[in-house]
Amino acid sequence: MGPEAAQNIANGYGAAAAGLAVGLAALAAGYAERGIGAAAVGAIAEDDDMFVPGLIMTVLPETLVILALVVVFILG
Amino acid sequence: MSAGASNPEYVNARVRSRRASLFSDEDYRKLIRMGPSEIARFMEETEYEREINELGARFSGVDLIEYALNRNLAKHFEDLIDWADGRLYDLIARYLRKFDVWNLKTIIRGIYTDTAPEDIRTDLIRAGELEERTIDRLLETDDIEDAIEVLYGTIYYEPLTVAYEEFEETGALVPLENALDREFYENLLADVSGGPGDEPQEGPEAKYIEFLQAELDFRNARNALRLARSGADLDPATYYIDGGVLFDESELSRLVGDYDALVDHIAENRRYGDRLSAALGQLREADSLIQFEHALDAALLEYADTLSSIYPASVSAVLSYILAKEREVENIRAIARGREVGLDENEIEEELVIL
Repeated sequence: MGPEAAQNIANGYGAAAAGLAVGLAALAAGYAERGIGAAAVGAIAEDDDMFVPGLIMTVLPETLVILALVVVFILG
Repeated sequence: MSAGASNPEYVNARVRSRRASLFSDEDYRKLIRMGPSEIARFMEETEYEREINELGARFSGVDLIEYALNRNLAKHFEDLIDWADGRLYDLIARYLRKFDVWNLKTIIRGIYTDTAPEDIRTDLIRAGELEERTIDRLLETDDIEDAIEVLYGTIYYEPLTVAYEEFEETGALVPLENALDREFYENLLADVSGGPGDEPQEGPEAKYIEFLQAELDFRNARNALRLARSGADLDPATYYIDGGVLFDESELSRLVGDYDALVDHIAENRRYGDRLSAALGQLREADSLIQFEHALDAALLEYADTLSSIYPASVSAVLSYILAKEREVENIRAIARGREVGLDENEIEEELVIL
């Protein structure tokens, strides 16, 4: 195997690792949002004014995915 | 038990919001100075609005307040059962069955005294697990034996059948009522804990069990103190409920005869001694059982509150809400009844449980 082929394989592994990182981060964010979203809907059902705070709290775990995307760009 | 995943986050968010809208100490101070009709008007501006409006045409004064309170309580607790799924439902329904027991007792007493079904109906608190249909069928019966037959398939059928024989012999309702109480309390702990020594050691469920044990212990302590105080010649074993940590049956029988030893026994217990020290002191000096019972109620409520801050997303917050709501209903009722019979403000204040 020449140096070029080795480089290609290494790049492939890198891309796969980055994909895995984003995927896992998204999964974790989804799991976190499950509980927060349920609580937010409960709070909104009791008091309509909770809509905005509830929405903000629910999307907070999205930062995990954004950070994972940043990592992808740094590595890429 | 209902199937599916548990949803403590959702139920907790709703319960905490409702908990926050309960009456405050300030509200109670205002209520104490009002007469029954003013209290009803005050309630109309709070979360009891709908009930007061619905019942306002049929009842007035203290009756209106009382029925509105019962109906509101039932509405909130029914909501809890509606919201909860899975394990959480099981844990909540287990505790709310005490309203089933209350309803069954009311119906049996109603049948016993030949009260009209409509009158019995107004006294029911529909917050338990029994279905509306079952309750309607119970109300149609005019014989206690038929009523027991209607309950076939529920947990109450068997104990009631056994107790019914005793009822037939003596003609007193006590065995039936005791059977219901015992069935409720003994079922509280059944299949949550694997029996003594095999309970979950940590986590929210362990705390839930601790709370239920406290409830059982306090119930036993209350019965024991009442028996000790009244000096009645009753067998304490009849009233003993298994499952607590404070007494076992033989201890209780021994202690009931000796009032001071009974109070000492509670004070020496590691779990409750400190928590109840103030109330126990009062009990030794002031001879007031009511004060002590209120102290027990307050201790249980505080206990549930502590638990709900240890495990925020668990059944604990729901329990503490249930207790707090019950307390509110009892406090308002005490104020209304107290004002009706003309107690002064200090006397009413003594009847309240305020944290």
